[in-house]
This record gives sequence, C-alpha cells and structure tokens, in this order.
Amino acid sequence: MTVNNKKLRGWAKGYLFILPSIIGFSVFVAYPLLSSIYYSLTEWSGYDTPRFVGFDNFKYMFTEDPAFWPSVRATLYFVFLSVPLSLILGLLLAMLLNKSLPGIKWFRTIYYLPTVVPSIASLTLWLFIYQPQYGLANSLLRLLGLPEGTWLTSETTALPSIVLIGLWQVGSGIIIFLSGLQSVPQELYEAAEVDGAVRWRMALHITIPMITPILFLQLILGIIGAFQAFNQVQVLTGGGPNFSTSLLNFKIYSDAFNGRMFGYSIAEVWILFVIIMIFTAVTYRYSNRFVYYESDNAR
Amino acid sequence: MVMHTEVRTKQRRSFNILDTVRLVILTIGAVAMLFPLLWMVTIALKGNNDVFKIPPEWFPKELHWSNFVTGTKEINFWQTFGNSLFIAITCTIGQIVSSVLVGYGLARLSFPGRKLWFSMFVGSLMLPGFVGMIPLFNLYTHLGWYDTWLPIIVPAFFGNATFSFLYVQYLKTISVSFDEAAKIDGASDLYVLIKVLVPMTMPVIMTMVIFSFQGAWNQYLEPLIYIIDPSKWTLALAMASYKGTYATAWNLFMAADLIYILPMLLLFFFGQKYFMQGLGSINSASLK
Repeated sequence: MTVNNKKLRGWAKGYLFILPSIIGFSVFVAYPLLSSIYYSLTEWSGYDTPRFVGFDNFKYMFTEDPAFWPSVRATLYFVFLSVPLSLILGLLLAMLLNKSLPGIKWFRTIYYLPTVVPSIASLTLWLFIYQPQYGLANSLLRLLGLPEGTWLTSETTALPSIVLIGLWQVGSGIIIFLSGLQSVPQELYEAAEVDGAVRWRMALHITIPMITPILFLQLILGIIGAFQAFNQVQVLTGGGPNFSTSLLNFKIYSDAFNGRMFGYSIAEVWILFVIIMIFTAVTYRYSNRFVYYESDNAR
Repeated sequence: MVMHTEVRTKQRRSFNILDTVRLVILTIGAVAMLFPLLWMVTIALKGNNDVFKIPPEWFPKELHWSNFVTGTKEINFWQTFGNSLFIAITCTIGQIVSSVLVGYGLARLSFPGRKLWFSMFVGSLMLPGFVGMIPLFNLYTHLGWYDTWLPIIVPAFFGNATFSFLYVQYLKTISVSFDEAAKIDGASDLYVLIKVLVPMTMPVIMTMVIFSFQGAWNQYLEPLIYIIDPSKWTLALAMASYKGTYATAWNLFMAADLIYILPMLLLFFFGQKYFMQGLGSINSASLK
C-alpha cells in the first residue's frame, strides 16, 4: 500500500498538534515511571550516583524501618475513614439541595465556599481552630459545657480531626452529585408516583441506582486522592503524635528530602503505588455488581 | 376514588413538613460551613491581646483594620503574592494553549496512533502524581532548575490530560460542518481552531481557566520541593512558614491569610457559573 504525500502531511499535522502532550507524557510521566523502577533498587542520597543494592530497600522497609508499618496503618485508616464519609455526606447534602426551595441557590453557594479556600489557607486556619486553649473547637465545646477535645494532640483523635477538615471541604463532591441528580429523567419519578411509591423508596430504587456511575467514579478518584494526602500532615502534625498521622505520601516526602534517602523513598513510592492499584482493581471488580449503566438497558 | 384523594392530600401536607425539615438541616449545615470562615474574619480584626481571652469575644469590640497592613508586613507578603500571581497566570496560559491544541488534534484530525495516545493521556490521570516526584527532581536539578520557578511553570506548557480530555469531549458536541465550511474557503487548521472553534467553546475554556488558575494558586508540594530562596516563594509557602514563625500573632496571621484567600473568592463569585458547570461537565464527560 502506498501512502501519498498529502496523507502523510495530514498525519504529520495531527502529530504536530498533539506534540505538547507527547513530550509532556514522555518526560513527565513515562521517563520518571520507568527510571524509578531502577532507582527503587539503589542506595542514593540524591547527591551521589545511585548504587545498585538489589531488594535491600524493600527488605529494610518490611522488616526494619520502625515507621513503615505505622504509616501503612495510618494511611489505610485515613482512606477507610475519609473516602466513605465524604461520599455519603456529599451525596446526602446533594439530595437535600436538589429541590427548588426559597434560597436554595444561596445554600449551594455556601456549601461550595469552603472548597474555594486554598489548601494551605484552610489548613493553617484549622490549625488555629484545633489549638487547645484559644481555638474555636474547644471554645465551642466549653460554651456548650462539654469536655474539651484533644484534636491534633492525641494519637486517637489526630487522624479523625484531619478527616473532619476534608468533610468541611466536601463542596465539589456535592456539586458533582447534584449535577448527576439533576440528570436523572423526571419521568422516572412521575411514573413511580403514579404507582404510589413512597419518597424514600424512590430515593433507594431510582435515584441511587441512576447515579451509581457517578458514585463509582467519585469512589475511585476519592481513593486515589486520599492515598496521596500530604499537605494536611506537612502543615498540621508532621506525622505525629507517635506516627499516628504519618501518611505514606508524607513519609515518602520526608525520607527523600529530609532523610536524603532517594532510593529508599522511591521504593516506598512503588509500594504505595501497588497498594493504590490493588484498591482500584478491587473497587472495579466489585463495582460491576452495583453500577447501573443506562446503555445496559438497550441490550 | 375517595381513597385516592385522601392519599393525595396527605402527601401534600407531608411534603411541606419535609421541606421544613430539609431547610432546618440545610441551615444547620450552612452555619457549620460558614462558622470557621467567620471566626477567621473576627480574629483578623481583633487587637493583639483580645485574641487570647477566655471565654473568647465572639465579636471584637474594636475593629483593628490595621491588621491587614501590619499582617502583610510580617512576611514578604506582597512580593510572594506577586510571585504566586505571575506563576498562576503563566501556568494557566500554558495549560490552556497546550490543552486546546492537543484537544483539537485528538478530536478533529485523523492519524495513526490517535486512539492509543488518547488512552495513554487519559490513563496517565490514574497515575499518582508522586510517582514522578524524585526522578523529576533529579532531572530538574541537573538542568540547573533547582531554586527557580521553571519546574513549576515549564510542565504547564506540555498539555494537561484532564483539560485536553475535557476539550475533546466538548468538541465532540460541535458539528464538523463548521470546520469544513471554513476549510472549503481555504482556512488552515490553526485558523479553524482559533477563529471558529475557540469562540464556540468559550464556556469550557473559561472552566479550564478557572480550575487551572485555582490549581496553580493552591499548589504547595512542588514549590516546597523546588524553591528555597524566600524571595522566590509562593504565597502557599510563605503562609505555611508564617504559621511557624509568628504563631502567636494570630490576628495578623489571619488577616494575611484572608488576603491570600481573596483572589480565589473573587474568582468564585465572578465565575461561579463556570465552577458549577465545570464540575458538572467534568463529571458527565468522564462517564462517556
């Protein structure tokens, strides 16, 4: 088959247009991904040349590093706590906001507002909110005559306190669910009403199934995002007390840039990466059972 | 028949009760959402000693507006503000231009490997960002980019997978006949894109601009890794370190923090429509 000149020029033009992303993908995605496979098997401070050490990094990680398993534990705890809570809260609030009532637009704006606050601004604000003596949280508790909370200062409450900040910024989830709810065909509700269905049953049998694809996507993105949490730990706790908030991504950062163990921290990156892939794969597998795609109906 | 009407009236009454319950819950939630921000504003307006009163004054007796001036003097606030603004604008321009070009190529031109590249770009969205952190740090250091803004700005000019994807999905909703009409008149692809399609895709471009600017204004990890010299810091870095140095001057800190938030608030109030539309379209585009 011969390819004429004109066609070839057309192809070249196509590649010219997508060239930025091809370069971007090669340099910022493929190169670091592939080279980090090798780096994970080296001892490397970042200043010297990497020295190949086989699987020593992984051996040290699993058997000797006193901070590794506590970090895995903290990370899993964080993911299992924050992802379901923000999904459920986001969906519930979206369902409450999905009705034309007086002032509903104002409510939507207010619920979205905290997500507009830059991460560092909101985290520093919450650092003051959680301050034991003068902070807002304990001031409110005292006002209500309740015992003071320990917030970021105790092993048991530090991580839930961080999760709570995330729930304050549930706004974009709400808007995404809201746009999903509004795309549910109104006829379905009308038909159900004719059949005499009760409201909570409509929610259970129409609303929820119709937005499962969105729920699923938010779940996957939520999991990937939660595993990468970093700013919270860096600004609020520095991993403490006693590793209780030492999320893996933070440990990776601090092993690399404070501990100058580049090779070791890349090995940790790979372990975190594998954990994320396992979680995503499991979620995909089990989602088939409950995710409802409209096109399935057409079969 | 009688029973039916009975059910109807009962339902209508219960709807009103439900609406009331709904509004009550929403109001409680809204107060919880606003409270931290309002508290922040009151702290920012308090005098130095009023901050540490127990029980706290919920509303300051005297309003110290001068905190907004003093607070920004404590750190190199306005210089870092300018740095952040410059970085955010440059990154936004880079991301929009490159993503629009790439989106056009993927949506409108046909060439072998198009689908493969498309799925690789989209697939890269699933990769956690920190995978590249250390090898890229090494690369930039060797290029002499350490302690400069280049590691933050340059990648923005090489496409953003989310935005390209959004643009592809949006272009798919616009008929190719517009392109063809212009091309019959002898227009080049670049002309078609800039003069015909860009004006028609302004809503999605505005959404991209807003999210791109927000992302650049907020980013923390990259500046933290690459920028050492305080005169090159971004606001996120400056505010994070301010909290450590002047931890006691809460009122001044909150005043500065509010100014850090202000551009985002303005962006939100003027571009609210695009925020909402954008989240909706990101959502529906990714389900297709």
